[in-house]
Amino acid sequence: MALVNLQNVSYKYPLAEAPALNGITLQVEQGEFLAIIGPNGAGKSTLCYTLAGFIPHFFKGELTGKVEIDGQDLGKSNLNQWVLTVGLAFQNPFSQITGAKLTVYEEIAFGLENIGVPRQEIMERVDSIMALTGVSDLAQRSPYSLSGGQQQRVALASILVMEPKVLVLDEPTSQLDPIGTREVFQVIKKMSARGLTVIMVEHKVEWVAEFADRVVALLDGKMVMEGSPGEVLTSEHLAENGFGLSRYTQVARRAAQQGLWKPDVRLPVTLQEAVDGFRRGLE
Amino acid sequence: MAERLSFFIPRESLIHRANPLTKLILVFATIIISFVSPWYWTAFMLIWINVILAFVGRVQREYLNIVWRLLLPVVGFLFLMQSFFLPYGGEELFSFWFLSLTAGNIAVSFLNASRIFVMVSSFILFILCTHPSDLMSDLARRGVPAQLAYVVVSTLQILPQMRTKANTIIDAQRSRGLETQGSFRRRVGALLPLVGPLVFGSLVEVEERAIAIEARAFASKMPKTSLRVISDTTIDRIARWGLVLLVILVVAVRIWLWLTSRM
Repeated sequence: MALVNLQNVSYKYPLAEAPALNGITLQVEQGEFLAIIGPNGAGKSTLCYTLAGFIPHFFKGELTGKVEIDGQDLGKSNLNQWVLTVGLAFQNPFSQITGAKLTVYEEIAFGLENIGVPRQEIMERVDSIMALTGVSDLAQRSPYSLSGGQQQRVALASILVMEPKVLVLDEPTSQLDPIGTREVFQVIKKMSARGLTVIMVEHKVEWVAEFADRVVALLDGKMVMEGSPGEVLTSEHLAENGFGLSRYTQVARRAAQQGLWKPDVRLPVTLQEAVDGFRRGLE
Repeated sequence: MAERLSFFIPRESLIHRANPLTKLILVFATIIISFVSPWYWTAFMLIWINVILAFVGRVQREYLNIVWRLLLPVVGFLFLMQSFFLPYGGEELFSFWFLSLTAGNIAVSFLNASRIFVMVSSFILFILCTHPSDLMSDLARRGVPAQLAYVVVSTLQILPQMRTKANTIIDAQRSRGLETQGSFRRRVGALLPLVGPLVFGSLVEVEERAIAIEARAFASKMPKTSLRVISDTTIDRIARWGLVLLVILVVAVRIWLWLTSRM
């Protein structure tokens, strides 16, 4: 059975006329890296909040359908239990800092203090996750003194230290520069390689193409496409509906129009695929 | 110099080592005594006790800096206003046009200003010498709801962040041509484009921060633990009870004086 199981999930915010999610059915396997793409207002963040339990336990509104993660039914669980299974990180690294801790080390330990982990174990787990996320050298710095990329890695470490089974990320690199983006993706890649299930909303399709096992496209609260990055990210239909294309796909499409890309070669989504495709064109 | 991101000044001192609750009780005891005591000299003496404690806590430079830049102008203004406009009368010492300065007004204004000074300076000293995590953990451990402890601590922490954010907004608006210096009218005109983004930005962040801390099981009903070791020695307990008894004594003296004055 899939670790994450959504059956016909719909959700409408209070006072909203149209549903933000409309009949979403989705399964995610243990250890899978699923990317969610879509234009603004597609329901991506709402889906993240639903997976992380904040809908319906934090945001009220009308949720129908079934959300099940690791055998737990969202409707029958409370948020305190749910956050131990599903970790959530989102766009703004600044607002993910608690504001009650002076150092990065204390900041990362915050979640473990809340669930009553003994002090010695807190220190072991914090040391371990700091090494894994590459923030050990920031341990005694104020979380507010860090760059955006560093803050986002601290936010990730603060969630990962709680050892969730599923990590939900809502555009974690949208406010970061290329260096910060690379740092954050390296952490996510490392965690994914260790078997963590990752569900990530992301606009930077080059990165999605590089890391995701599967991509889901949302439009107006509905799932409009699902498949491998190569299938979804080169779709004509999605491009016509405001979905971003990888710069490699765009170059190859333009090249194809001018006969510089072989028609039997699939459009690329990663740099390596583009290099291979152009090489074949030259042969 | 790096910008300070918290009020707390990590130093090695007797006051830093004291239990957060002991320090909090000291603050409230000082305030209550200064307001309840019938004598003019009590609040004035407590001001100097706070100065001595700032030296003991090795935060005298930061303490005096805040007092000089923030507290003295406010309290000085309060003293002047009350001196001229309170209706206590007494011997007239000075008069100009409609303004009249009397001995009675000066005495009452001095007492009020001293009390305000004690109240604010005690809190300044407290936040300079108390690690926010220690305060939050200690209060939560003693049964204060974690949410309340968080609100207290994060409010103290957020003020320096707000100042940093306000400076960023000022720079951003200046770069767009907004003039923030010059005449009073110009400064008032510049206020809205500065305060608007600060307030609305902070309101948005409140919801995001609430989600962030909930995602880290803040509302969990499990007993909380603390990464930091918070000392609570016998001396702390004696000091707390001593302060409570002192407050009771001062209140009793005040009541006794009030009763005897009515006889």
